[in-house]
Amino acid sequence: MTSNSRRTGLVFFPAFDWAISPTHPEREERLLYTQDQVLEEGLLDLDNIVEYRVRPASMDDIRRVHFCVPDEESVTTESHLISAGGCLVAADAVRKGEVDNAFALVRPPGHHAMRVVHGNRGFCNINIEAIMVEYLRETYGVRRVAIVDTDCHHGDGTQDIYWHDPNTLFISLHQDGRTIYPGTGFPDELGGPNAMGATVNIPLPPKTGEEGFFVVMEELVMPLLEKFRPEMVINSAGQDNHFSDPITDMNFSARGYATLNARLQPDIAVLEGGYAVESALPYVNVGIIMAMAGLDTRCVKEPNYDRDYRPQSPSVTQNIDRLTARLRHVFLEGKYEAPTHTEGDVLERKREIYYDTDGIFEKQRELIRVCPHCAGALAIESAASTGNHIFAVRIPMEVCEACRRTALTWFDQASQNAFSHIFLQDRDRGRYERIEPKRK
Amino acid sequence: MTLTRKFDAPEAPLILGLDVGGTQTDAVLISSGDIVAFTKTPTLDDLTATLRGAVGKIMAEAPDGRIVRLAFSTTMATNAIVQDRLDPTGMIVSAGPGMDPEGFSVGPSYHVVPGCLDHRGFEAMPLDREALESAADRIREQGIRTVGLVSKFSTRNPRHELLMKDWVGGGFDHTALGHRVSGNLGFPRRIATTYLNAALHKTHEGFVLAVLRILEEQGIEAPRYLLKPDGGTVGLEQSLDFPAQTAQSGPAASVMGALALDPCSGTTLVLDVGGTTTDIAVIYEGAPLLEPLGVRLGPYLTLIRSLQTRSVGIGGDSEVRVDPAHGLRIGPMRVGPPMALGGPAPTPTDAMIVLGLLEAGDREAAQRAMEGIAGLLGTGFVEAARAVLDRTAYLVAESVRAFLYFINSRPVYTIREVLEDVTIEPTRMVLMGGPAAQLSAPLEQALGIPCSVPPHAEVANAVGAAVSRITSEVTLQADTGRGSVIIPEVGLQELIDSDFSMEQGLAMARRALQGALIEAGETQEEMQVTVTEQQCFSMIEGFSRTGRNIRLKMCVAPGLIPEWPSRRPFP
Repeated sequence: MTSNSRRTGLVFFPAFDWAISPTHPEREERLLYTQDQVLEEGLLDLDNIVEYRVRPASMDDIRRVHFCVPDEESVTTESHLISAGGCLVAADAVRKGEVDNAFALVRPPGHHAMRVVHGNRGFCNINIEAIMVEYLRETYGVRRVAIVDTDCHHGDGTQDIYWHDPNTLFISLHQDGRTIYPGTGFPDELGGPNAMGATVNIPLPPKTGEEGFFVVMEELVMPLLEKFRPEMVINSAGQDNHFSDPITDMNFSARGYATLNARLQPDIAVLEGGYAVESALPYVNVGIIMAMAGLDTRCVKEPNYDRDYRPQSPSVTQNIDRLTARLRHVFLEGKYEAPTHTEGDVLERKREIYYDTDGIFEKQRELIRVCPHCAGALAIESAASTGNHIFAVRIPMEVCEACRRTALTWFDQASQNAFSHIFLQDRDRGRYERIEPKRK
Repeated sequence: MTLTRKFDAPEAPLILGLDVGGTQTDAVLISSGDIVAFTKTPTLDDLTATLRGAVGKIMAEAPDGRIVRLAFSTTMATNAIVQDRLDPTGMIVSAGPGMDPEGFSVGPSYHVVPGCLDHRGFEAMPLDREALESAADRIREQGIRTVGLVSKFSTRNPRHELLMKDWVGGGFDHTALGHRVSGNLGFPRRIATTYLNAALHKTHEGFVLAVLRILEEQGIEAPRYLLKPDGGTVGLEQSLDFPAQTAQSGPAASVMGALALDPCSGTTLVLDVGGTTTDIAVIYEGAPLLEPLGVRLGPYLTLIRSLQTRSVGIGGDSEVRVDPAHGLRIGPMRVGPPMALGGPAPTPTDAMIVLGLLEAGDREAAQRAMEGIAGLLGTGFVEAARAVLDRTAYLVAESVRAFLYFINSRPVYTIREVLEDVTIEPTRMVLMGGPAAQLSAPLEQALGIPCSVPPHAEVANAVGAAVSRITSEVTLQADTGRGSVIIPEVGLQELIDSDFSMEQGLAMARRALQGALIEAGETQEEMQVTVTEQQCFSMIEGFSRTGRNIRLKMCVAPGLIPEWPSRRPFP
């Protein structure tokens, strides 16, 4: 064991008996070859790698984050609860000091699941990172958290959940939304009025290689973390930036992921996407585990690396350099347009959301109270093609009196309207309600 | 009611069991399911002399009858490993991406050569013949005549190991191949296991010949077996190629002894209390729990199947002291025999003698031992003796609880297993070993479950060795995308069609298991097969199925020979 070795917790849950559908990429053997590689490497025999058994998350864990329509039971299966629960096991291991860091190598993923859940979008039902972050806050009193999402797809679900939260820095590195699902994640999406600059999107051009990722890490991600000073760093460790991934167009590698992880040094990493189940995942996962444990990753190299990996083109390098300079200007030098709202304003935002996996169409109207003292009272009216039409109110942690009053007024008024369900998520007092008004 | 004893017949068939322990060697003779004689002899430094003495002594006590079977649990391989008396062995390995293979170096001449197979067994980089030949040359130049050859993922495709064997050239007396030691994954363990099998080969061969000579002297021609750490046996002559699998069989002997002497219904905790240590194991519905990966032999983690046991440094001869900060301390050191037997320090055995639970040695010396403890505790010597036994039981119970917690936190990988959430919670315990009966009351108290000490518990290990059946395991992986099926343990590799089915896989594994049992010395035709893993995955490329990946594990699990009548619970 080398002197810089760390104790790493590994929560491995491949869900060998669950798939979205028989030929869907999110299927039984997604982590089969990863398991093979991890076992063959003998990683579990190392003194500084500790494997943990999963446990299912509870409905209460979900209620801290989501408004599930019509209820939690209807939009989750055991597999989602266990995947989220695996993250909670990782969180416990780290916060109890049993390990220095932990990797929840679980499926199904979660980073496309938004605050309101009508069904599955982007292979995700519930947001396993957000459920873990809110558990960390609830159980261990953690306040400032940074989530760095290195999945190839924009982490639009996590972004949505933390859009108004100034205590959560969300950074997403992904393939440019103009070329890939879900089509969002542009630099001008930088957070709600009370949390501006706490959402950072870094859309990378297709074919970005190791070089580009490292530049973004050094020039943007690391300085942003230094500036934000989080108590914990979470890595949403999607692995579909890999050059062999079948549903993306990037050019990253196993050693690249290992190096990125060694630089980022997350307290907890959570597997997200990544569907090159044979040619990428076994090596990327082994690389991440070894990097977290402080082991030498020089020998982590895909068998087809020399044949298939191409250094990124000069034009990609140029694009990334320009993007980095622009984002440094905005986020590190604070040069974004200052909001012109005044305290107490209620801002409205309207959105349409498509659930690709379940084919559900949702219309949202969101209200946020502008507030310099807390994350602000939040209300969401959401109507889905399933026929459900809900109104949901959220009271943030450490809420101010004015925002609490506003939120409770919204909640009371809602009962006079014809919603199928009305929700209250009072994070400050731990009160979670779901009302089903009598149908007319 | 009249009991008829079958062994009255002049030519009654006898089974001989023998267990070489750290200080004593036990031997038993069994006839018609009864223990008809047992002996204890001191274990000497010379294992052959120990065996000759023990066999001679028990045969002198044998009633008329013919030995039809004998089985030994010996310390030959364990001692050779622990005392580092291994034959010089060269190792050549090929790896590929992952951990640096230089970190797995073992033996006096270890060489990594280029070449790589991936997790499905596809060749990712051809084996470098030139590098291999020069590694072999260097091994030969060192005068080494035994070699082990291992490639990463050789259990998925043995091709590189077979090429290595072809290419190393002459001059080697013995060659061991990695894929034959186990079907399980674990490259570092495969390297260590292959190394040990190679490095023990010559010594083990000498041992087998010595045992054969002893048996010849005694005129014993019956089938003879050695016990393995998984609680199964292997034929003595058949053990030559994989000698490492006969190491560390002691803990298995005691578990199999419990299974033989006790009904072991429900979930049974097995405690074997020795002089220096106590071994802990669990039998779940008649099946001893197995280690997930394999046994540790000295410093080596191996792929050798093993019962799951824990050893805690507390026994009848453990040193008892009073520590100003922590109070009464028991073990983990043994500084000598109990004071009643002339030893230097107080022990739990002295406490047993003081409390009248045990008749042994000098009672006054035992009392002096407890008076010393009592002085430091500020109590009378009888209270001190009681405190020592309670503390001993408490510490064993703590280790039992930690072991059970470990077993129950074992990771599971399917939703079904998470939901079923089977928890191992023993409802009774079986105590064996020297100070077993004396500790049963305090242990019942400390663990809150009833305890039984079966008849002949003091020679349970020898009984366990005597009546354990042959075990074997095969691992099948069929990959219709690659068009091949492989069972590494038996060296089987065949081409298959794209419609190869689970049924075909099961039949093929069954045939291979039958063959492996015969190779291990089995003579009975009937076998009790347990399928321990059965999975079938579709392989998908671009939303359509391109093949099937079938994974099977099948074994004859540890159990008792049919001639041994199982102990029924008392009515």
